[in-house]
Amino acid sequence: MIDQQLQSRQRVDTVSADDTALTIRIRRIRTVSKNALDELLKSRTATMGAIMIILLLAVCFLTPVVATHNPTKPNYRERLAPVSAEHYFGTDKFGRDIYSRVLYGGQRTVFVAIAAVALGLALGIPLGVFSGYFGGRFDAVSMRFVDGFIAFPGLLLYLLIITLAREWKLEGIWNDLILIFALGLNTMPEIARMTRGTTLIEVRREYVEAAHVVGEGSLFIAMREILPNCVSPLIVNATVRLGYVILIIAALSFLGLGTPPPTPDWGGDLSAARDHMESHPMIAIFPGLAICYSVLAFNLFGDGLRDILDPRIAER
Amino acid sequence: MCLGGAYNMLIYTINRILQIIPVIFILSVLVFGFVHALPGDVIDTMAGVEAGEDPEVRAALEEEFGLNKPIYVQYFIWIGKAMQGDFGNSLVTRRPVNTELIERIPATMYLALVGITLSVLIAVPLGTLAAVRRNSPTDYAAQVTSLAGISIPEFWFAILCILLFSLHLAWLPSSGYVEFFDDPGKSIWYLILPALAVGFRQAAFTTRLTRSSMLDEISKEYVDTARSLGLPERKVIYKYTLRNALIPTITISGLQLANLLGGTVVLESIFAWPGIGQAIFQSIQLRDFPVIQAGVLVLGVMVVVINLLVDLLYRVLNPRVGMG
Amino acid sequence: MSEKKISNTFGKQSRREFLASTTAGVAAAASAAAMASMPGTALAAPKRGGTLRFATRVDGRGLDPHRNIIYYVSNPLAATTQGLLDLNTKMEIVPGIGSEWTISDDLMTYTFKIREGVEFHNGRTVDAEAVKWNYERIMDPKTSHAFTRSSLKEVDTITVLDKYTLRIRLKGPSAVFLANVVYYPCNLIAPDSADQADTHPIGCGPFKFVSWKRYAKTEMVRFENYFETDSLGNQLPYLDAIEGYPKKEDKVRLTALRTGEVDLIENMAYSDVGAFKKNNSDKYNTWDIPQVGCAYLAVQSKIGPFAMDHPNGKLMRQALAHAIDREAIHQAVFNGLSESVAGFYSTSSPWHMPGIKNVKEYDPEKSKFILRKLNAMGTPIAVVARDTYEYMHNSGELVHSMLLDAGFKATNGKFDNPVLRQKYKKSDYGIDSTANSYRFEPDGWYSRNVLSTAPSTKLRTGYKNERADKLIIEARATRDFQKRLELYTEVESEVNEDCALIYTHAVPLTSAGTKNLKGYQPAFAGPFNIAGGGIRTAYFDK
Repeated sequence: MIDQQLQSRQRVDTVSADDTALTIRIRRIRTVSKNALDELLKSRTATMGAIMIILLLAVCFLTPVVATHNPTKPNYRERLAPVSAEHYFGTDKFGRDIYSRVLYGGQRTVFVAIAAVALGLALGIPLGVFSGYFGGRFDAVSMRFVDGFIAFPGLLLYLLIITLAREWKLEGIWNDLILIFALGLNTMPEIARMTRGTTLIEVRREYVEAAHVVGEGSLFIAMREILPNCVSPLIVNATVRLGYVILIIAALSFLGLGTPPPTPDWGGDLSAARDHMESHPMIAIFPGLAICYSVLAFNLFGDGLRDILDPRIAER
Repeated sequence: MCLGGAYNMLIYTINRILQIIPVIFILSVLVFGFVHALPGDVIDTMAGVEAGEDPEVRAALEEEFGLNKPIYVQYFIWIGKAMQGDFGNSLVTRRPVNTELIERIPATMYLALVGITLSVLIAVPLGTLAAVRRNSPTDYAAQVTSLAGISIPEFWFAILCILLFSLHLAWLPSSGYVEFFDDPGKSIWYLILPALAVGFRQAAFTTRLTRSSMLDEISKEYVDTARSLGLPERKVIYKYTLRNALIPTITISGLQLANLLGGTVVLESIFAWPGIGQAIFQSIQLRDFPVIQAGVLVLGVMVVVINLLVDLLYRVLNPRVGMG
Repeated sequence: MSEKKISNTFGKQSRREFLASTTAGVAAAASAAAMASMPGTALAAPKRGGTLRFATRVDGRGLDPHRNIIYYVSNPLAATTQGLLDLNTKMEIVPGIGSEWTISDDLMTYTFKIREGVEFHNGRTVDAEAVKWNYERIMDPKTSHAFTRSSLKEVDTITVLDKYTLRIRLKGPSAVFLANVVYYPCNLIAPDSADQADTHPIGCGPFKFVSWKRYAKTEMVRFENYFETDSLGNQLPYLDAIEGYPKKEDKVRLTALRTGEVDLIENMAYSDVGAFKKNNSDKYNTWDIPQVGCAYLAVQSKIGPFAMDHPNGKLMRQALAHAIDREAIHQAVFNGLSESVAGFYSTSSPWHMPGIKNVKEYDPEKSKFILRKLNAMGTPIAVVARDTYEYMHNSGELVHSMLLDAGFKATNGKFDNPVLRQKYKKSDYGIDSTANSYRFEPDGWYSRNVLSTAPSTKLRTGYKNERADKLIIEARATRDFQKRLELYTEVESEVNEDCALIYTHAVPLTSAGTKNLKGYQPAFAGPFNIAGGGIRTAYFDK
């Protein structure tokens, strides 16, 4: 026992005694965070994207406060009502308040998108880092798996996973979890490949070797030394991916594989409005614009970030 | 390229082709696993509920389609036959899967290829112009259009296109598919709207990419050198810069093509386009196992091959990339 | 040339025969009247030729008409084959390939006389032997669909008396057997073509199969030796060819009609019907097709708090029924185009029954009262619906909210068919928003979905009512129309009291075609391959 404690203490001491690796790392992180805000403000695209995202998130948080109606309560006597003081965006074919549905739908859509991308990162990053760091058989096998997923064409993997889970007794949030799982699993391969690529470059850098020299464990190095340097491309990718995921959710809703009604859902509402698109174009416009807005916000922000974080472009 | 480069390239190519084999094996296991885990009873789907209750009928159908064997045996029988190009019969139509799918693939390829071509034809001039006239109204217009293209849900865009171009303006047919070799003119006529819907979204990506890689190239030293040597601006831009800037554009377009193979399900359904995406989607709903498996596998192989070709093309165009 | 001549002579002969046989039966007389009153056909001389482009909501799933249900309303393939007997525009059974028939007094033996000179598309004669072969193939589980097979399940023996006479002996008395030998489900294909039934079926309908490209196009051409003639002796059909185009999206199908890509569409979206009729009546004809059946809610009454054998089951089901606001569904789902029903048949059907009792009116307070009394507030119930038909899951969505309002803890879900079947099997649902447009013969509905011993009843609702069972079996052996109507009225009153099946709406479907398409009159419930109407008498006036 005591031996172990001693050992681990010693380890900590050695690490803190050696400042090369640590300082490099700290310096790098600090540089990024210190300049981040300045850079962000310099990029018009990123600023605009950031403002749009903040607005979107604020509305999502405030939904219960700003919504005016129960989003799932039908009332056929008021169906297809035009825009009015009572119904800011009018009502849908069941007489539900579109304004409230767009708000609650947004809350859900944004949550699912963020959770899915987070899951993709959580699966993809470790896989990528370990593959890149350890190489060899582990790398070969895991990358072939990743390639296998990538070879699944287009939407088909989503369709299969969601159909697979349809018989399961899933209600409320659990239903979203399947969607999150399917979307996350599909985000994973790209993230894993990217992380692996960056890791391969970083592994050869001197600070990693320095860490080796001072005797840090492999896992420790992989996670603490290399990871921070993969962050910037990952942030960019994840941000753009958020927008993409929102569009996939909409496409799945169109194919009838979204969240079952009456849960408000942008894609589902837009898709349900398609029969009325000619006679009552308004009921399609609001959920449609909401999708456009949020995808645009994530894309703008992601673009701006890329400009800032990619030194090649930043120098220009 | 010198001889050594060609040799390296050959080794690299062989290496990459060898890597495809395990990928396809894994894909086949994945799709077989997924498909057999789908909920619902195939026999019921085939014979009707009442017959599904009849053990004799059930046994006969299980025998006919080899469903009574252990799952791994079924897999090996399937993959063994698949390697010889035999995917069995559809459980729904009872026609050979090959007939069902071979009829479908050209329709999807046709739509995807024309869509991508269209997107390149729109995107390259637009992206170049936007980069050359950076921060001009042209640039902003190009950027706004491409951002709109990226953020609009494709089925909404498609339906709006139908309402506008078919219904109100009566310029184009709204839906349907005519085989190219039956009637080329009519075929293209019916293709325009779906290809536009595919192309618009892809063009949005490609325009942005072309713009940024053009900007990247323009800022490079050789451009300044060329300018200082007195070469005409037009020649600098279009002869040297654009050629280099197009490398990523071509690469991305190739990858987009691969992605479109299973990604046009939604548009195929709207435009009544008899593509393979729709066929697989409907087969999933009907639990037509042989068709789903074969469809995903064939598309998967096509994706892998296209990705490989794109990769090789990229290396040929851009010899600076190592053959690692 | 000579072949053509022969077929013309044949056409006239068969016409005479046809008229001769029409004088025999009351039902057949109605058919002649329907033909005479057909708009277009009687006035202007129909023109031969032309290709009808027909857009449908769904595509076929296979070609063999024994193995697949080739539904007669929305599948162009329905034009390629037909049954022994025919239907007219009023969905009455009239002579077709079978020109006469006799039914024994004990309702056990049916003898059919087959029209001479009728051919399959490959030239083989349709004779008693061919019909027998077809029915035996349908009765074989290995070569037929369960639904098709079930229509012949009463058949005991089939005997060929001579080349054109067939005798069918039943296992028990049935007054309704004729309904099973018309188109859908028991179609005739050429006996020497069984091995190509899945790829190129050989039928005996007015149009010959040419090709089927799944999800894209079905092609058929006129059968030059078709037996039926119009009132002037011209051979039917008038059209040269039919092209079927599956277009899944309602909006796209309608747009295709409006832009002239197709001539005829079926199944218009409810949201489009009103405006389309108002704005386009000068350019298009529309046909409102009230389905024979209706939309209804099936309550899972096998296990749980709503079960038949649960002491409070009936009250609980009645609580469900009282919670349903038919008006809301009528407005929000059907755009005001449906009809609330008390039984399976709507007012437009000859089987409409005005005297049905025990309909549970919309009264959510009553539901709450029952739930409170039984201490069952918050009883969970899963509303399910099939995802393929929008009106089904849209109704389900509204029912879900109605049940919540009435104090149930309802959940909502829509599922594809295979999953839904699993749910039926495992009794893993509460209430199913569904519809059935079985056929014109009420026995088809009552003995499949109400009769407690029917596989479908056992699978889905588990409904059990001894009195209803007795009435259904009695009706099956009753020849008198009025008497049967009374018996079924009683059945419906029992059904409404028990609330395992809650009838809600008669579902209309609207078809539309261009004005220059004349003489097309689908039967009142939708079939278009019918005697003296539909696709056979359709022609282009150009």
